[in-house]
Amino acid sequence: MVQNRNKLINLFIGNVSNAVVHEILERAVSKEVMADRYRKELVTSLEIAKNYREKINPINRSLPDKDVAYIKEKIIARVKAEIMTRISKGYKNIDLNLIDSLTDKALRDSKIK
Amino acid sequence: MDQIYIPKNRAGFAIGNYVVIKQLEERQENPAEKLYFYGVKELEPVKLKIIHQVLELINKSISNYENIFITGSFLEKGFNFNDIDFLIIIKNKINHELIRRDIEKETGINAHIITLSSKELSRGLETDPLYQMMLSRCIAKKRFILKIKNKIDYKILDLHLLKSKTLINNFDMLSGKEKYDLARNLIVIYLYLKRNKINTDFVNKKIKEALGLSIQEIKDNIIDKKEFLKRYKLIYNKSFATILKGIEHGSKQE
Repeated sequence: MVQNRNKLINLFIGNVSNAVVHEILERAVSKEVMADRYRKELVTSLEIAKNYREKINPINRSLPDKDVAYIKEKIIARVKAEIMTRISKGYKNIDLNLIDSLTDKALRDSKIK
Repeated sequence: MDQIYIPKNRAGFAIGNYVVIKQLEERQENPAEKLYFYGVKELEPVKLKIIHQVLELINKSISNYENIFITGSFLEKGFNFNDIDFLIIIKNKINHELIRRDIEKETGINAHIITLSSKELSRGLETDPLYQMMLSRCIAKKRFILKIKNKIDYKILDLHLLKSKTLINNFDMLSGKEKYDLARNLIVIYLYLKRNKINTDFVNKKIKEALGLSIQEIKDNIIDKKEFLKRYKLIYNKSFATILKGIEHGSKQE
Protein backbone atom coordinates (compact mmCIF):
# COMPACT_ATOMS: atom_id res chain seq x y z
CA MET A 1 0.00 0.00 0.00
CA VAL A 2 2.85 2.39 0.95
CA GLN A 3 4.65 1.36 -2.21
CA ASN A 4 1.53 2.15 -4.22
CA ARG A 5 1.24 5.56 -2.56
CA ASN A 6 4.89 6.34 -3.37
CA LYS A 7 4.32 5.31 -6.97
CA LEU A 8 1.29 7.58 -7.24
CA ILE A 9 3.26 10.46 -5.70
CA ASN A 10 6.05 9.94 -8.23
CA LEU A 11 3.59 9.92 -11.11
CA PHE A 12 2.00 13.06 -9.69
CA ILE A 13 5.45 14.71 -9.48
CA GLY A 14 6.26 13.79 -13.09
CA ASN A 15 3.06 15.29 -14.42
CA VAL A 16 3.18 18.49 -12.40
CA SER A 17 6.82 18.96 -13.45
CA ASN A 18 5.81 18.60 -17.08
CA ALA A 19 2.96 21.07 -16.62
CA VAL A 20 5.26 23.64 -14.95
CA VAL A 21 7.90 23.28 -17.69
CA HIS A 22 5.18 23.73 -20.29
CA GLU A 23 3.85 26.86 -18.60
CA ILE A 24 7.33 28.41 -18.35
CA LEU A 25 8.15 27.67 -22.00
CA GLU A 26 4.75 28.91 -23.10
CA ARG A 27 5.39 32.22 -21.36
CA ALA A 28 8.80 32.43 -23.04
CA VAL A 29 7.22 32.23 -26.50
CA SER A 30 3.79 33.65 -25.60
CA LYS A 31 3.55 36.03 -28.54
CA GLU A 32 4.07 33.24 -31.01
CA VAL A 33 1.57 30.69 -29.71
CA MET A 34 -1.58 32.58 -30.46
CA ALA A 35 -3.02 29.93 -32.73
CA ASP A 36 -2.72 26.89 -30.51
CA ARG A 37 -6.39 26.44 -29.78
CA TYR A 38 -6.66 23.25 -31.79
CA ARG A 39 -4.07 21.41 -29.74
CA LYS A 40 -5.62 22.51 -26.45
CA GLU A 41 -7.91 19.54 -26.84
CA LEU A 42 -5.08 17.20 -25.88
CA VAL A 43 -5.16 15.78 -22.41
CA THR A 44 -2.85 17.85 -20.21
CA SER A 45 -0.30 16.81 -17.62
CA LEU A 46 -2.09 18.83 -14.97
CA GLU A 47 -5.38 17.02 -15.59
CA ILE A 48 -3.59 13.70 -15.25
CA ALA A 49 -1.78 14.90 -12.12
CA LYS A 50 -5.15 15.75 -10.60
CA ASN A 51 -6.36 12.22 -11.35
CA TYR A 52 -3.38 10.80 -9.46
CA ARG A 53 -3.96 13.24 -6.62
CA GLU A 54 -7.47 11.85 -6.15
CA LYS A 55 -5.89 8.50 -5.31
CA ILE A 56 -3.32 9.78 -2.82
CA ASN A 57 -4.36 9.78 0.84
CA PRO A 58 -5.43 11.97 2.56
CA ILE A 59 -7.78 12.76 -0.31
CA ASN A 60 -9.83 15.59 1.17
CA ARG A 61 -7.15 17.64 2.91
CA SER A 62 -3.56 18.71 2.46
CA LEU A 63 -0.78 16.18 2.67
CA PRO A 64 1.53 16.20 5.71
CA ASP A 65 4.18 18.95 5.60
CA LYS A 66 6.92 16.37 5.16
CA ASP A 67 5.26 15.00 2.00
CA VAL A 68 4.56 18.48 0.63
CA ALA A 69 8.22 19.48 1.11
CA TYR A 70 9.39 16.26 -0.57
CA ILE A 71 7.02 16.69 -3.56
CA LYS A 72 7.90 20.36 -4.02
CA GLU A 73 11.63 19.68 -3.84
CA LYS A 74 11.38 16.90 -6.46
CA ILE A 75 9.24 18.98 -8.82
CA ILE A 76 11.60 21.95 -8.63
CA ALA A 77 14.62 19.72 -9.29
CA ARG A 78 12.98 18.10 -12.33
CA VAL A 79 11.76 21.38 -13.77
CA LYS A 80 15.20 22.97 -13.31
CA ALA A 81 16.86 20.06 -15.08
CA GLU A 82 14.47 20.33 -18.04
CA ILE A 83 14.83 24.09 -18.29
CA MET A 84 18.62 24.03 -17.89
CA THR A 85 18.88 21.56 -20.80
CA ARG A 86 17.23 24.17 -22.96
CA ILE A 87 19.16 27.13 -21.59
CA SER A 88 22.43 25.28 -22.23
CA LYS A 89 21.40 25.11 -25.89
CA GLY A 90 20.89 28.85 -26.04
CA TYR A 91 17.18 29.12 -25.23
CA LYS A 92 16.55 32.68 -24.07
CA ASN A 93 13.79 34.61 -22.26
CA ILE A 94 13.18 31.88 -19.71
CA ASP A 95 12.17 33.22 -16.33
CA LEU A 96 13.60 30.84 -13.74
CA ASN A 97 11.87 32.74 -10.96
CA LEU A 98 8.60 31.27 -12.15
CA ILE A 99 9.54 27.73 -11.08
CA ASP A 100 8.80 28.24 -7.39
CA SER A 101 5.57 30.18 -7.78
CA LEU A 102 4.13 27.92 -10.51
CA THR A 103 4.98 24.82 -8.48
CA ASP A 104 3.26 26.30 -5.44
CA LYS A 105 0.21 27.15 -7.52
CA ALA A 106 0.01 23.64 -8.98
CA LEU A 107 0.28 22.11 -5.49
CA ARG A 108 -2.47 24.37 -4.18
CA ASP A 109 -4.71 23.72 -7.19
CA SER A 110 -4.40 19.99 -6.73
CA LYS A 111 -4.97 20.26 -2.96
CA ILE A 112 -1.61 18.82 -2.05
CA LYS A 113 -0.85 21.95 -0.05
CA MET B 1 -59.67 21.78 -35.26
CA ASP B 2 -57.14 24.54 -35.98
CA GLN B 3 -58.32 27.94 -37.18
CA ILE B 4 -56.79 30.55 -39.43
CA TYR B 5 -57.72 34.20 -38.96
CA ILE B 6 -57.72 36.63 -41.88
CA PRO B 7 -58.70 40.34 -41.83
CA LYS B 8 -62.37 41.04 -42.33
CA ASN B 9 -61.67 43.92 -44.73
CA ARG B 10 -59.50 42.38 -47.41
CA ALA B 11 -58.88 42.41 -51.08
CA GLY B 12 -59.62 38.96 -52.52
CA PHE B 13 -60.54 35.79 -50.63
CA ALA B 14 -64.27 36.23 -51.11
CA ILE B 15 -66.52 34.04 -49.03
CA GLY B 16 -66.76 30.59 -50.60
CA ASN B 17 -63.45 30.80 -52.48
CA TYR B 18 -61.22 27.78 -52.38
CA VAL B 19 -57.75 28.59 -51.06
CA VAL B 20 -54.47 26.83 -50.47
CA ILE B 21 -52.85 27.13 -47.05
CA LYS B 22 -49.10 27.35 -47.34
CA GLN B 23 -46.31 28.05 -44.85
CA LEU B 24 -44.82 31.45 -45.58
CA GLU B 25 -41.27 30.71 -44.31
CA GLU B 26 -40.14 27.36 -45.47
CA ARG B 27 -36.94 25.65 -44.49
CA GLN B 28 -34.79 25.91 -47.58
CA GLU B 29 -32.56 22.96 -48.25
CA ASN B 30 -30.74 25.24 -50.65
CA PRO B 31 -29.52 22.57 -53.03
CA ALA B 32 -27.67 25.21 -55.03
CA GLU B 33 -25.22 25.89 -52.22
CA LYS B 34 -21.98 24.35 -53.19
CA LEU B 35 -19.38 23.22 -50.73
CA TYR B 36 -15.72 22.68 -51.45
CA PHE B 37 -14.16 19.35 -50.60
CA TYR B 38 -10.44 19.07 -49.87
CA GLY B 39 -8.97 15.61 -49.32
CA VAL B 40 -12.46 14.19 -48.67
CA LYS B 41 -13.13 11.50 -51.23
CA GLU B 42 -16.62 10.61 -50.14
CA LEU B 43 -19.08 11.56 -47.48
CA GLU B 44 -22.26 9.86 -46.34
CA PRO B 45 -25.35 11.81 -47.56
CA VAL B 46 -26.69 12.07 -44.03
CA LYS B 47 -23.49 13.81 -42.91
CA LEU B 48 -23.74 16.23 -45.81
CA LYS B 49 -27.29 17.00 -44.79
CA ILE B 50 -26.11 17.70 -41.23
CA ILE B 51 -23.38 20.01 -42.54
CA HIS B 52 -25.88 22.00 -44.61
CA GLN B 53 -28.19 22.18 -41.64
CA VAL B 54 -25.41 23.48 -39.38
CA LEU B 55 -24.11 25.96 -41.93
CA GLU B 56 -27.62 27.35 -42.21
CA LEU B 57 -27.66 27.82 -38.44
CA ILE B 58 -24.28 29.55 -38.46
CA ASN B 59 -25.40 31.75 -41.37
CA LYS B 60 -28.34 32.94 -39.32
CA SER B 61 -26.11 33.95 -36.40
CA ILE B 62 -23.00 35.29 -38.11
CA SER B 63 -22.84 37.10 -41.38
CA ASN B 64 -19.35 38.58 -41.53
CA TYR B 65 -17.26 35.42 -41.52
CA GLU B 66 -14.63 34.94 -44.18
CA ASN B 67 -14.92 31.17 -44.40
CA ILE B 68 -16.08 28.12 -42.49
CA PHE B 69 -14.20 24.81 -42.44
CA ILE B 70 -15.52 21.48 -41.27
CA THR B 71 -12.70 19.19 -40.19
CA GLY B 72 -11.83 16.27 -37.96
CA SER B 73 -13.22 12.81 -37.35
CA PHE B 74 -16.70 13.72 -38.66
CA LEU B 75 -15.25 13.53 -42.17
CA GLU B 76 -13.86 10.05 -41.69
CA LYS B 77 -15.79 7.13 -43.10
CA GLY B 78 -18.47 5.76 -40.81
CA PHE B 79 -20.06 7.12 -37.71
CA ASN B 80 -17.30 6.73 -35.15
CA PHE B 81 -16.95 10.45 -34.48
CA ASN B 82 -17.21 12.31 -31.17
CA ASP B 83 -18.11 15.73 -32.46
CA ILE B 84 -18.05 18.03 -35.47
CA ASP B 85 -15.14 20.44 -35.65
CA PHE B 86 -15.86 23.84 -37.12
CA LEU B 87 -13.24 26.41 -37.85
CA ILE B 88 -14.79 29.82 -38.44
CA ILE B 89 -12.52 32.42 -39.99
CA ILE B 90 -13.70 35.79 -38.79
CA LYS B 91 -12.04 39.12 -38.12
CA ASN B 92 -13.84 39.99 -34.89
CA LYS B 93 -13.97 37.87 -31.79
CA ILE B 94 -17.41 36.32 -31.33
CA ASN B 95 -19.06 34.35 -28.58
CA HIS B 96 -19.85 31.08 -30.29
CA GLU B 97 -21.36 29.36 -27.28
CA LEU B 98 -24.92 30.11 -28.43
CA ILE B 99 -24.25 28.71 -31.89
CA ARG B 100 -22.67 25.63 -30.35
CA ARG B 101 -25.76 25.05 -28.24
CA ASP B 102 -28.07 25.58 -31.22
CA ILE B 103 -26.11 23.05 -33.25
CA GLU B 104 -26.32 20.50 -30.47
CA LYS B 105 -30.03 21.12 -30.05
CA GLU B 106 -30.71 20.85 -33.76
CA THR B 107 -28.50 17.88 -34.63
CA GLY B 108 -27.87 16.13 -31.31
CA ILE B 109 -24.15 16.17 -32.10
CA ASN B 110 -21.48 17.92 -30.04
CA ALA B 111 -19.97 20.83 -31.91
CA HIS B 112 -16.43 22.01 -31.36
CA ILE B 113 -16.04 25.51 -32.72
CA ILE B 114 -12.78 27.39 -33.10
CA THR B 115 -12.78 30.97 -34.32
CA LEU B 116 -9.65 32.49 -35.78
CA SER B 117 -8.80 35.55 -37.81
CA SER B 118 -7.25 34.87 -41.20
CA LYS B 119 -3.97 36.22 -39.82
CA GLU B 120 -4.05 33.73 -36.95
CA LEU B 121 -4.87 30.92 -39.35
CA SER B 122 -1.95 31.83 -41.61
CA ARG B 123 0.39 31.97 -38.63
CA GLY B 124 -0.91 28.61 -37.37
CA LEU B 125 -0.49 27.04 -40.79
CA GLU B 126 3.04 28.36 -41.10
CA THR B 127 4.33 27.17 -37.75
CA ASP B 128 2.07 24.37 -36.60
CA PRO B 129 1.94 21.10 -38.54
CA LEU B 130 -1.28 20.08 -36.82
CA TYR B 131 -3.06 23.01 -38.50
CA GLN B 132 -1.76 21.85 -41.85
CA MET B 133 -3.06 18.38 -41.14
CA MET B 134 -6.43 19.74 -40.07
CA LEU B 135 -6.93 21.58 -43.35
CA SER B 136 -5.54 18.81 -45.51
CA ARG B 137 -8.91 17.08 -45.09
CA CYS B 138 -11.77 19.49 -44.79
CA ILE B 139 -14.94 20.84 -46.32
CA ALA B 140 -15.01 24.58 -46.88
CA LYS B 141 -17.93 26.91 -47.31
CA LYS B 142 -15.93 29.01 -49.72
CA ARG B 143 -13.16 28.07 -52.08
CA PHE B 144 -9.69 28.63 -50.68
CA ILE B 145 -6.14 28.09 -51.78
CA LEU B 146 -3.71 26.71 -49.25
CA LYS B 147 -0.45 28.54 -49.71
CA ILE B 148 1.81 27.47 -46.90
CA LYS B 149 5.32 28.65 -46.36
CA ASN B 150 6.70 26.26 -43.78
CA LYS B 151 8.55 28.11 -41.08
CA ILE B 152 10.15 25.81 -38.56
CA ASP B 153 10.07 27.50 -35.18
CA TYR B 154 11.88 25.09 -32.88
CA LYS B 155 10.71 26.74 -29.68
CA ILE B 156 7.08 26.38 -30.65
CA LEU B 157 7.62 22.78 -31.73
CA ASP B 158 9.35 22.11 -28.40
CA LEU B 159 6.23 23.33 -26.64
CA HIS B 160 3.95 21.21 -28.81
CA LEU B 161 6.14 18.13 -28.42
CA LEU B 162 6.16 18.40 -24.64
CA LYS B 163 2.44 17.56 -24.68
CA SER B 164 3.20 14.15 -26.14
CA LYS B 165 5.58 13.35 -23.29
CA THR B 166 2.49 12.73 -21.18
CA LEU B 167 1.97 9.36 -22.85
CA ILE B 168 5.34 7.96 -21.82
CA ASN B 169 4.74 8.10 -18.07
CA ASN B 170 1.00 7.67 -18.01
CA PHE B 171 0.37 4.86 -20.46
CA ASP B 172 -1.93 2.90 -18.14
CA MET B 173 -4.03 5.90 -17.25
CA LEU B 174 -4.86 7.11 -20.74
CA SER B 175 -7.73 6.00 -22.95
CA GLY B 176 -7.13 4.77 -26.50
CA LYS B 177 -8.42 8.05 -27.93
CA GLU B 178 -6.07 10.09 -25.71
CA LYS B 179 -3.15 7.86 -26.72
CA TYR B 180 -4.02 8.31 -30.38
CA ASP B 181 -4.19 12.12 -30.06
CA LEU B 182 -0.81 12.27 -28.30
CA ALA B 183 0.80 9.81 -30.75
CA ARG B 184 -0.56 11.75 -33.71
CA ASN B 185 0.83 14.98 -32.26
CA LEU B 186 4.23 13.32 -31.91
CA ILE B 187 4.30 11.84 -35.41
CA VAL B 188 3.11 15.07 -37.03
CA ILE B 189 5.97 16.98 -35.37
CA TYR B 190 8.46 14.24 -36.26
CA LEU B 191 7.45 14.36 -39.94
CA TYR B 192 7.38 18.15 -40.00
CA LEU B 193 10.92 18.30 -38.63
CA LYS B 194 11.93 16.06 -41.52
CA ARG B 195 10.43 18.65 -43.87
CA ASN B 196 7.60 16.41 -44.99
CA LYS B 197 4.40 17.81 -46.35
CA ILE B 198 1.70 17.10 -43.80
CA ASN B 199 -1.67 15.62 -44.68
CA THR B 200 -4.02 13.23 -42.94
CA ASP B 201 -3.46 10.14 -45.11
CA PHE B 202 0.31 10.48 -44.97
CA VAL B 203 0.32 10.95 -41.20
CA ASN B 204 -1.98 7.98 -40.61
CA LYS B 205 0.23 5.82 -42.80
CA LYS B 206 3.33 6.94 -40.92
CA ILE B 207 1.72 6.34 -37.51
CA LYS B 208 1.18 2.74 -38.55
CA GLU B 209 4.72 2.40 -39.85
CA ALA B 210 6.41 4.08 -36.92
CA LEU B 211 4.38 2.64 -34.06
CA GLY B 212 3.49 -0.70 -35.62
CA LEU B 213 -0.24 -0.35 -34.97
CA SER B 214 -3.23 0.76 -36.97
CA ILE B 215 -5.12 3.90 -35.93
CA GLN B 216 -8.07 1.76 -34.91
CA GLU B 217 -5.93 -0.50 -32.72
CA ILE B 218 -4.55 2.55 -30.91
CA LYS B 219 -7.99 4.09 -30.51
CA ASP B 220 -9.36 0.79 -29.24
CA ASN B 221 -6.44 0.61 -26.80
CA ILE B 222 -5.36 -2.81 -28.07
CA ILE B 223 -1.68 -2.09 -27.58
CA ASP B 224 1.41 -4.07 -26.64
CA LYS B 225 2.67 -1.58 -24.05
CA LYS B 226 6.35 -2.57 -24.10
CA GLU B 227 6.76 -2.54 -27.87
CA PHE B 228 4.65 0.56 -28.35
CA LEU B 229 6.52 2.58 -25.72
CA LYS B 230 9.87 1.48 -27.10
CA ARG B 231 8.99 2.83 -30.54
CA TYR B 232 7.25 5.90 -29.15
CA LYS B 233 10.20 6.89 -26.92
CA LEU B 234 12.62 6.46 -29.80
CA ILE B 235 10.66 8.87 -31.99
CA TYR B 236 10.12 11.27 -29.10
CA ASN B 237 13.84 11.37 -28.26
CA LYS B 238 14.85 11.81 -31.90
CA SER B 239 12.40 14.67 -32.33
CA PHE B 240 13.49 16.33 -29.09
CA ALA B 241 17.16 16.06 -30.09
CA THR B 242 16.41 17.69 -33.46
CA ILE B 243 14.52 20.48 -31.72
CA LEU B 244 17.35 21.14 -29.25
CA LYS B 245 19.80 21.21 -32.13
CA GLY B 246 17.56 23.67 -33.93
CA ILE B 247 17.31 25.90 -30.86
CA GLU B 248 21.08 25.78 -30.45
CA HIS B 249 21.65 26.61 -34.11
CA GLY B 250 19.09 29.42 -33.96
CA SER B 251 20.65 30.97 -30.87
CA LYS B 252 24.06 31.05 -32.54
CA GLN B 253 22.58 32.99 -35.45
CA GLU B 254 20.94 35.59 -33.20
